[in-house]
Amino acid sequence: MINFDYIKPATQKAAIDALNKDATSQFIAGGTNLVDLMKRGVVSPQKLIDINNLPLKSIEQQKGFIRIGALTLNSDVAEHELIRKKLPLLSQALKAGASPQLRNMATVGGNMMQRTRCPYFYDTTMPCNKRQPGTGCGALKGYNRMHAILGASDKCIAVHPSDMCVALTALDATVVISSRKGDRRIPFADFHRLPGTTPEKDNNLQRGEMITAIEVPDNNEFSKKALYIKIRDRASYAFALISVAAALDIKGNTIQNARLAMGGVAHKPWRLTGAENFLKGKTASLENFNQAAAISMKDAKGYGYNNFKLKLAPNTIVQTLKTV
Amino acid sequence: MGYFDDDDRVNGKAIVTGKAKFIAEHEVANVTHGVIVGSTIAKGSITAMDTKTAERAPGVLAVITHLNSPTVPGYDAGGNPVKGPTGGKGFQVFNGPAIYFNGQPIALVVADTFERATYAASLVKSQYQKNEHTTNFDEAGKSVVALEDARYKDNIRGEVDGYKNAPVKIEAEYVVPIEVHNPMELHATIALWEGDDKVIVYEKTQGVKSSQRSIMNAFKLKEENVRVYAPFVGGGFGSALRTWPHAIAALIGAKKTGKPVKLVLSRDQMFTMVGYRPFTKQKIGIGATADGKLLGITHEADSITSMYEVFNERSVDVSRFLYACPNVTTRYHVYPFNVSTPTWMRGPGEATGTFALESALDELSYALNLDPIELRLRNYAETDPQNGKPYSSKFLKEAYQLGADKIGWKNRDSKPLSMKEGEWMVGYGMGTGVFGAGRGTAKALARIFADGTLLVQSAVSDSGPGTATAMTKIASGIMGIPGNKVTFELGDSSLPPGPTQGGSTTTSTLGSAVYDVSMALKNKLVELAKENSIFHTTEIHSAKAEDFVLENGNIMLASNRNKKISYTDLLKQNNLNQLEVTEESKGNEEMKKYVAYSYAVHFVKVLVHPATGVVKINRVVTATDGGKIISPKTAESQMIGGVVGGIGMALMEEGVIDNRYGRWVNNNFADYHVPVHADVPHIEALFVNKPDLILNPTGAKGIGEVALIGFAAAVANAIYHATGKRIRELPITPDKLI
Amino acid sequence: MAQQKSCSENESLHYARRKFFKQSTLLTALALTPPSLIKAAGDNLDEKASALFEKQSLEIEVNGKKHQLSVEPRVTLLDLLREQLHLTGSKKGCDYGQCGACTVHINGKRVLSCMSLAIMQDGKKITTIEGLAKGDELHPMQQAFIKHDGFQCGYCTPGQIMSAVACINEGHANNEDDIRQNMSGNICRCGAYPNIVDAIMEVKQKGGTI
Repeated sequence: MINFDYIKPATQKAAIDALNKDATSQFIAGGTNLVDLMKRGVVSPQKLIDINNLPLKSIEQQKGFIRIGALTLNSDVAEHELIRKKLPLLSQALKAGASPQLRNMATVGGNMMQRTRCPYFYDTTMPCNKRQPGTGCGALKGYNRMHAILGASDKCIAVHPSDMCVALTALDATVVISSRKGDRRIPFADFHRLPGTTPEKDNNLQRGEMITAIEVPDNNEFSKKALYIKIRDRASYAFALISVAAALDIKGNTIQNARLAMGGVAHKPWRLTGAENFLKGKTASLENFNQAAAISMKDAKGYGYNNFKLKLAPNTIVQTLKTV
Repeated sequence: MGYFDDDDRVNGKAIVTGKAKFIAEHEVANVTHGVIVGSTIAKGSITAMDTKTAERAPGVLAVITHLNSPTVPGYDAGGNPVKGPTGGKGFQVFNGPAIYFNGQPIALVVADTFERATYAASLVKSQYQKNEHTTNFDEAGKSVVALEDARYKDNIRGEVDGYKNAPVKIEAEYVVPIEVHNPMELHATIALWEGDDKVIVYEKTQGVKSSQRSIMNAFKLKEENVRVYAPFVGGGFGSALRTWPHAIAALIGAKKTGKPVKLVLSRDQMFTMVGYRPFTKQKIGIGATADGKLLGITHEADSITSMYEVFNERSVDVSRFLYACPNVTTRYHVYPFNVSTPTWMRGPGEATGTFALESALDELSYALNLDPIELRLRNYAETDPQNGKPYSSKFLKEAYQLGADKIGWKNRDSKPLSMKEGEWMVGYGMGTGVFGAGRGTAKALARIFADGTLLVQSAVSDSGPGTATAMTKIASGIMGIPGNKVTFELGDSSLPPGPTQGGSTTTSTLGSAVYDVSMALKNKLVELAKENSIFHTTEIHSAKAEDFVLENGNIMLASNRNKKISYTDLLKQNNLNQLEVTEESKGNEEMKKYVAYSYAVHFVKVLVHPATGVVKINRVVTATDGGKIISPKTAESQMIGGVVGGIGMALMEEGVIDNRYGRWVNNNFADYHVPVHADVPHIEALFVNKPDLILNPTGAKGIGEVALIGFAAAVANAIYHATGKRIRELPITPDKLI
Repeated sequence: MAQQKSCSENESLHYARRKFFKQSTLLTALALTPPSLIKAAGDNLDEKASALFEKQSLEIEVNGKKHQLSVEPRVTLLDLLREQLHLTGSKKGCDYGQCGACTVHINGKRVLSCMSLAIMQDGKKITTIEGLAKGDELHPMQQAFIKHDGFQCGYCTPGQIMSAVACINEGHANNEDDIRQNMSGNICRCGAYPNIVDAIMEVKQKGGTI
């Protein structure tokens, strides 16, 4: 790792100013991914701006939504009474991610900003358009077992590794972003990007901006039937082959509304809007679940090692809907 | 032999308090830090190296490459062998520009801190002339030709491929991928030269004597001038059975800089620099009569090695000796690829071989509609099928019984897809493990002090099985001294030579030495006691050593326990501060008439989720014939540990190389999965616990390897029972079951 | 408290250092590291002298003992503990947050010290395995690990024990499956898992915060 400069501003303004002042600087919060990437030489910021002094660690009930500060620890969110009661899907997804130690370090904002785990991205001797645009995608014809089946491009087939983000996508969360210009809000589903021709950009955060909070609607109908299922190569402490976040609002046996998102399949948490629309007003039956899964897989494509996901993904969707 | 019942590990307190010093943790004054730079191509040669920037980086003391490395006198003058792989000749670090595998060490950076050395290592650049490499193991037997060696000759008993004529037969192909030992402690070396011809080395090794020998050979040093320490070794499973190039690099670095060098491999380097279980593709043909009598087995294996060194193991040999069978053909071929050299990994060869054989037997049992255990019993070998020799002990039948009873084998419905728990499919499976039980040569020293404490020493390592605990038990049992007054000292090559910890022979070999030296010390005490005043009767004069009992720090006459004297008094009266004996112990003549194996029978209950392919190991019962169990608590742990390794082998471990680059793509703990807590259920480890006193006086046969051997097949068999799907390629990940 | 150091103080220190760097522009170039720049840097760098200026001050409390230190920002807490403070009980098993051998408590929470930059722990209280026992009296979890043989080689053990103590205090040790899930961040290659679960169950059943 290169040696870098380190500062720890006391205010949000000072932190954002510092970021703007120095093009080679980067924020650090939990550091669980950034330190990893720096050790491997994947990224080499010249200055780290430690934002842990900023007062962004609260979980608050607001009117119609719950506001979670960007620096709130993953473990604190998962265990918080308000989250467990009103957003159990988020709590489950967080607990499915990483390990207790990492959840005690990782923040909500940091979780959103984590990079892909693609081995070609991590190994600086291999080609990777995300790490070094123009070098090619090592995974496209390489070992792509963990890779995308939806929304990929020939420039990049990496997946976003987060569990938390899958739940937040399903839950219609909003991202609060601050900069010198003030605050702006974007839907969570629009935060992460698809790779297209610019896979080096993971998300729509602009230079000079800071994620300061997440706002999640506390729609009670979705808190009763919520389930996060994660399929992986071992029972814990592994990234998802496929994960599905599902929340259903059911009256009698009729689905009023469905919220569905999938992880391990795309460059961003993958909202299953088609399936949601299909399920609306339908009865909760295996046949409908199968159809919803089929709709979700309409544009899916395998790249060799990950072909199994074309079957595992719909199976997991059905399994989640059945169980929830 | 009685043992004291304190079963706790003798080094437990040091470990749980963090005081135990593993290799990289020894404080050496003025130590510097070495970091290895690996090649980024898999085949070719280095044409130029730019080390200038690294040399100028802060804190850097030296950058060593093949261009400036001090000569290693034991290395070949002409560089690494370019002609082709030879046996037992490891990679010679910095000895020429040739590249044999991706990640091959090409430079060592030495700096004053770890951070600076690591950073400077990233600044070393090299240019290559690239040649076409191959790491595609499917090319074995196609574009890649097998090595020729006398050891690979086909082995034929009875009729060649005799299984083909059997009325019922199975033919199938099985694949075991690369697996990597990955002990938790990173391989590390601290090298400290004292002058030109004397060196102290802290080295992660399973054999302090064998490491000492390797270093002596490399640098042409005298035995007394090479001292290797390894008081605590954080796991090995075979990876620390030899002295690898990075250790020699540390010695080179220390020589070049004149300062002690500490070199710790990174986790990714653990995949390329300290061996692995080789990829092996096996074919089995097995045939039987309609009532389940084996008529023939043909077992073939294609395995891999590096371009510079031969490695082979006994993958097919199990088919020659596990079951009584008249016609057995085995074929074994090794193919060279642009990879580093594999090495023995827990249950070497046999673990690979039994995955095929024990799976095939299960397939045969279904073809015969016969219980898998019954099939095995119908082909039970009463003598070694290879040579007709009797077994010094064999309690495999008892192990089958013990395990089957415990897991409730009879209560299962043996039809595939017949059992369910909720939506989970349930399956039971079993597999047999076998491994040769041996006994080598070892020396041990025993010294009793006037304060009544006992010190026993031997130059061995303990990478986890609990060797010091078992040896303490043997010595304390014979000497009648409580365990807490006995110290077993190891991990130092200057102690009396002990064996390398591997091949499940430590307890047999070293235990015999500790037994013998304790008996010799007892005899010395008896001699002294006979001269002692209170014992001075004709009765005692005529007594033999076996007429005395040693108990609780006293020596007494068996026939009259009132006639006793404490060791403390005995030594004091003879004006002795201490009394010591050194004994060498080796295998006996009698054993040449016999053969010895340890056995484990693994029973597994799995749950398989039909939609997602998730497999849960729900229950494990492992019944073992490992001879006498010296230290029940640590032995049980060792069996459990082998099973956990087996869970990894069966369900998740697979080393992956991208053949386009010949480079690893999952060389870390996030992508190379080993079992975590959540993968492992309660595991029941049972022992037949009958001594084999022909093999050695302790009666122990050894258990470390059989703990894992046969387990992967047990899981695959259970998954077949649950799902009706026969998976012949490890690991059995969810994608293979949906 | 050091943590409360005002921004302006930090900034001024920072600029003093940076000013030095700017006088030696080649140094800045080197820190950027693209090979072309390094090549351009030529021969007249005085990196060795300037390295001293790369350190920053840090105050931490480890196992009840306060340390005033000066560290490079890139030094991880794990390397600080092991290489500078000679507290080698915390282990390096992977160095990438993938094994749990380096688990320590920071302000009472279990975290991975290999993924924690030391400089970011200014003003914090750190407990390592060396700080768990009270003198000669072992912590109940240490005793339980010995009793249940919760280790073989012992290398992952300090991390397992630190994690286990936290697991109970977090309320995540309610049954065997709960323990297995919440201890899964600690890999044991010897496979002592079932014994570790037994040890944690026993300590948990005795009750209370430990």
